Amino acid sequence: MLQNHSMKTPEIFQARYGARAARVGSSLPRADALAKVTGREPYACDFYHPDMLWLGVKRAGVPHARLRGIDVAAARELSGVAAVLTHDDVQGSNRQGVVRKDQPVLVDDKVRHAGDAVALVLAMDPASLARALELIRLDLDPLPGVFDLDQALAPGAPLVHGDNPQGNLMLAGQVTIGQGLDALDDCAVVVQEVFRLPRQEHAYLETEAGWALWDPDGGLTITASTQTPFRDMAEVAEALGLERDQVRIKAPYPGGAFGGKDGVSVQSLLGLAALAAPGVPVKIWLDRQESFIASPKRHPARLAYRLGAGQDGTLQALHAVLHYDTGPYDHLGGVVATLGLEHSGGAYVIPHVHLETYAVYTNNPVGGAFRGFGVPQVNAAMEGMMERLAGRLGMDPAKLRQKNILRPGSLTPVGVTLDCSVGLADCLEQAAGHRLWTRRRPWKAAAGPHQRRGVGLALALHGMGYGPVVPDVANAKIELSDQGRLVVYCGVVDMGQGNASTYLQVAGHLLNQDLAHLELVLPDTARTLPSGSSSASRTTFTYGRALLAAAGELKVRLLKRAADMLMVPVEEMTLVPGAVRHLTSGRELSLKDLAGFMAGEERVAVHSFRAPVSPQRPSDDPGLTLHGLPHRIFSFGAQLCGVEVDRLTGRVRVLSLVTFCDVGNVINRQVLEQQVQGGAAQGLGYALWERMRSREGRIIENDLSTYIIPTAGDLPDMELVVVPGFEPEGPFGMKGAGELPTDLPAAAVAAAVADACGAAPNRFPITPQVVLELLHQGAARNLA
Amino acid sequence: MTRVWLPSSLEELWPLWAENPGAALYAGGTDLLVRRRAGLVRPEALICLERVAELGRIEPDGPEVFLGAAASFSRLLSSPLVTEKYPVLAAALQRIGSPQVRHMGTLGGNLVTASPAGDSLPPLYTLDAVVELVAVGATRRVPIAEFIQGPGQVDLRPGELVSGVRLPATDGNLQHFEKVGSRAALAISIASLAVAGRLSDQGEVLQIKLAWGSVGPTVVCAPAAEAALQGKKLTPETLAAAGELAQQAASPIDDLRASREYRLALVKNLLLRLAP
Repeated sequence: MLQNHSMKTPEIFQARYGARAARVGSSLPRADALAKVTGREPYACDFYHPDMLWLGVKRAGVPHARLRGIDVAAARELSGVAAVLTHDDVQGSNRQGVVRKDQPVLVDDKVRHAGDAVALVLAMDPASLARALELIRLDLDPLPGVFDLDQALAPGAPLVHGDNPQGNLMLAGQVTIGQGLDALDDCAVVVQEVFRLPRQEHAYLETEAGWALWDPDGGLTITASTQTPFRDMAEVAEALGLERDQVRIKAPYPGGAFGGKDGVSVQSLLGLAALAAPGVPVKIWLDRQESFIASPKRHPARLAYRLGAGQDGTLQALHAVLHYDTGPYDHLGGVVATLGLEHSGGAYVIPHVHLETYAVYTNNPVGGAFRGFGVPQVNAAMEGMMERLAGRLGMDPAKLRQKNILRPGSLTPVGVTLDCSVGLADCLEQAAGHRLWTRRRPWKAAAGPHQRRGVGLALALHGMGYGPVVPDVANAKIELSDQGRLVVYCGVVDMGQGNASTYLQVAGHLLNQDLAHLELVLPDTARTLPSGSSSASRTTFTYGRALLAAAGELKVRLLKRAADMLMVPVEEMTLVPGAVRHLTSGRELSLKDLAGFMAGEERVAVHSFRAPVSPQRPSDDPGLTLHGLPHRIFSFGAQLCGVEVDRLTGRVRVLSLVTFCDVGNVINRQVLEQQVQGGAAQGLGYALWERMRSREGRIIENDLSTYIIPTAGDLPDMELVVVPGFEPEGPFGMKGAGELPTDLPAAAVAAAVADACGAAPNRFPITPQVVLELLHQGAARNLA
Repeated sequence: MTRVWLPSSLEELWPLWAENPGAALYAGGTDLLVRRRAGLVRPEALICLERVAELGRIEPDGPEVFLGAAASFSRLLSSPLVTEKYPVLAAALQRIGSPQVRHMGTLGGNLVTASPAGDSLPPLYTLDAVVELVAVGATRRVPIAEFIQGPGQVDLRPGELVSGVRLPATDGNLQHFEKVGSRAALAISIASLAVAGRLSDQGEVLQIKLAWGSVGPTVVCAPAAEAALQGKKLTPETLAAAGELAQQAASPIDDLRASREYRLALVKNLLLRLAP
């Protein structure tokens, strides 16, 4: 019943692919695929136990209020209720957060958004749980709230955190390069626009879930759907007043996460509840509505841009002012706003910039990590500016870009020398030569009655890893098991991107093993080693490098031991699937036999790797440096999008989407394609459908019937072009590819819609109503 | 625990219903069960009609066609009686929800729920559908436009249930349906238009019925727009003029899916699709 999260490759998969060599460069099907699609993979939400208690949360329901009291008497008396808990039951700091610990586990002074957790109920069954939650009475003294950026920043605005020295400004940062703002005066052409980007919900299949067990002798074990088991361990311990070694976090594969499970969601709640029920497993599983209310979202943003260029299209100056609504807690909002700042000038050389970024506290839903991490917002804006500039100058949008793109050794818009592989020019060249671009005029002319077609182009870059201060470290561990299999202890979560399977491929490649002789242990703070969060397009890069070294060390050890046993020179030994073979005699020693001759510790190799950082400091603001500015290694991409716009309804159909990417050398093309397609689907949702609005801090689109994510019927066939590349710092020359695909579609779709309508959008998602207005504007412009 | 009854005939149903007067009747449950889960309705018991033989019939009856109230949309879509004779209805049914929803949803549910966004309703208006109602020992027939009186309000008397709809024979050569939803599938209508009628060989309108969904409290018909098209060819100009008349008949609302202005624009624009 208590699941063991050591994963054996499922038998059917074994039968089919077990003998396949795990080689780097091979499009090997993912090791986790079959168990997932057949429903056998045990997710955190799949745990059941006859004695289990159900945990539920009483949430505030109001966006801003002082907590005067909580009446739990009636709920406690209800039969079937095991415990009702409030902040009084929390023994630790009762605060959690990644950078700033500004979020309570259970509200103790003030409610700051409608989804704040105020009390917990533990009950024998879901029905008793629901009744008890209804019986809890919150005594709340409502406070005026702040629900938009201007309101929050106005003098005298109600404060979300009274103790924040900058009021409702959570983080402010500026970078000035060259002559900054002054340079705009000398530009032959200046275009300006204000862009508004919506709040986006991750909408992962598996809502927040997990279970916990408090064994007074053995400690607290929490199994949760999380991207960050090791950080969770530290946060839960501090918030609940435990020692770190009393907390163990196990992280099965999440059923989707996309950044939404980067940080504590239900972990502290589970821990607190488990402490109240020693020896009894407690389980929580949020329903969709509660997940929507409680979980962090992609930050809504308002982005004001002025871009100046010479008459020939050479970019000269940029002024960008970024405002991100981070809701009531930092979560990762400061880091998001800083990554946005770093990427706000896009993939171009701009000698003079003045960039400002602001993360603003409000009483809206929490803003947090979401694949792309502040970049999809600014990339839609910067690429929108390039479209406007091309229009103003009457230049071909591809040629304008060609003139200005980043190349090896270029200074990025924040004035940092690019010191990584840069394949952007190849991406752009491939895009500009693709038939969707070169044949776009006849393709557009073939639109049917009442239809207009347009083709758009967008570029992007995405920085990898944590930046210069926070150590981007992975600790790999690999073991020869007594069964003669090579076990990779994966310390960083695979939330669906395929990194865990890729680790097997990397280890198999180096040790010349097939899948039948490889095994994976999923993240578990007691068994695997700390390897950082599953985020920032870093998992394969950083853990991959560590694993390469660990596997290399183990390989040498295995060959030596085998050589000694056969009394032959080690140079004559080689690893083959399941065995070590003596090349000249053909004699073999099976890995199982070899394991039998080795002590436990001898069969294990570990290696720690820290990703390289940039020594450059584009800003002397230590806050920006701490929050990740600048990055060292970037991936690059371009995207072409062909749309058809219905003039009668404004409906946009995406007919083609071609992504070009430089992600270094590709370890597994199939996994990369899955990443690009999934990221593009999320990006298209962001471009055309998804928005989670709030009114007075309460979510309007509060379920999946009103929050519109695209289905298969809305998505085009997708094409991927990978330009040849090799990043010397990456394992086998690879770079991260997880987020880049999400950064492109809003920009590419906007360019395509503008091409179709004759007017460019500045508001997302680009709804049919907006498109009708754009068609109207475009028609008026044509007449004029 | 809620009891669920599954009668297989009307004969079995009547006494069950008499013994459980607080029970809610349903077939696919695509409306009722969602409302029940949200706590909006708390029926004492449920009587499921999906196995009642009389309500599942799809058959010709003289020149007419009878479509049972509890026949699922999928079954209707697999019947040539629907797809060949009433393509406007088939096109609308095809746009409802997803395959899973169409396996469960029924005409009877759309009729009794009487939402202006019920996608089968505009085609039924243009086809002059007659709703058939049964009670113990009694049958009644009511034209659809009289049966539906307002959102969620229908001419259903105590002890009565919808047994199906009757569609008259049609010799029309013009049938058209279009739905605007928030995405390609699994979307509630923002607006829809159903058209049924007959054109002369020269393309002049001999007869035409127009019905819009989701732009008023019930399906919106616009006799003035129909009259304006009578005898005319369907050109962008005649359709625009009719569309403006239709806009006067419509009374759309703002909701989280779309604004009133956008819906009003659609009332006219969806007609323009008919121009060759």
